[in-house]
Amino acid sequence: MSVYILPIIFVVLFLYCIYKRINTYDVFVKGAKGAIKLVVDIFPYIAAILIAVALLRVSGITNFLAQLLSPIFNALGIPTELVELVLLRPFTGSGSYGILENIFSSYGADSYISRCACVIMGCSETIFYVATVYISQTKVKKLLYAIPVALVCSLVGTILACLICKVM
Amino acid sequence: MMLSSILVLLVTNPAAMLSEMLSASTDALELCIELCAVYCVWLGIIELVDASGLGEKLAKLLRPLVKRVFKVEDETTQKLIAMNISANMLGLGNAATPMGIKAMQALDDGSGKANFAMIMLIVVNATSIQLLPTTIIGLRQNAGSANPSDIILPTLIVTFCTTVMGIILVKVISKFAKKIKLKRKI
Repeated sequence: MSVYILPIIFVVLFLYCIYKRINTYDVFVKGAKGAIKLVVDIFPYIAAILIAVALLRVSGITNFLAQLLSPIFNALGIPTELVELVLLRPFTGSGSYGILENIFSSYGADSYISRCACVIMGCSETIFYVATVYISQTKVKKLLYAIPVALVCSLVGTILACLICKVM
Repeated sequence: MMLSSILVLLVTNPAAMLSEMLSASTDALELCIELCAVYCVWLGIIELVDASGLGEKLAKLLRPLVKRVFKVEDETTQKLIAMNISANMLGLGNAATPMGIKAMQALDDGSGKANFAMIMLIVVNATSIQLLPTTIIGLRQNAGSANPSDIILPTLIVTFCTTVMGIILVKVISKFAKKIKLKRKI
């Protein structure tokens, strides 16, 4: 059923645009143009994170951490393969796309691990980045309980994601 | 992070350092080219959503909800928050950020501490409900998935649960915080 979701949304969108007399071609091109700039902006961050992750991996630190934490994660139903993603996700958005890509190539895009990773990516955010950027233009210095609550929710989301991917 | 791993590598495998770094940055470049293709499609689509006024409509739809959850009376602030959330729903973190910053400025009371609505905005952003995890679907398609959009439904269910949980948690904690404050005053 979910095969139809995207095509249907697109058809409805295009029909609506025609109904609204919008020049779909021009508008689409205008939006697509933004992609290059966006990618140029995020490339250095992705590179830095992937380099750091590669170094962590080849030095064995990742493995050590994953083994250290995997009993806890496994007890919560999170597979060991996802520990890296779960740990880095709150800090880096573009970097976690890199990790997701690694997971795709190691386990296959349709594997249970990959599907879990996708759902985890979808339901979580780069909490520390968002919080920093959002309050950067205000006088706020203390966020009180915002970060802990956000982290707890992400963790619960991760656990739920691993559960739901087993059934769906 | 990089420094500590290089230090460990010095002991274990010094030859591997540079080649690993270079191959990782090559991976990053490949990923960016892929992302560029994904963004081209989705940013084009999103521009259509925006130009047709659907984005505005979604934001309007969300406003009553925003009013109840955030307890914000000011209409422009309500609109900013609604637009921030609707951009998040479409999986557009980058478009949501400017709106979020503006909403935060509007909510700032100058006390130096985050107030209820600000905390709520951060938590709701952190658990962001996603109608369409656009980038993820695109990457998965490129990785050779047979049905890349089969994660939409599970993602929707999970983010809905976490968002509701986040809202409830913030409400409960803020009530407790108020009670403690009252007790201290007495």
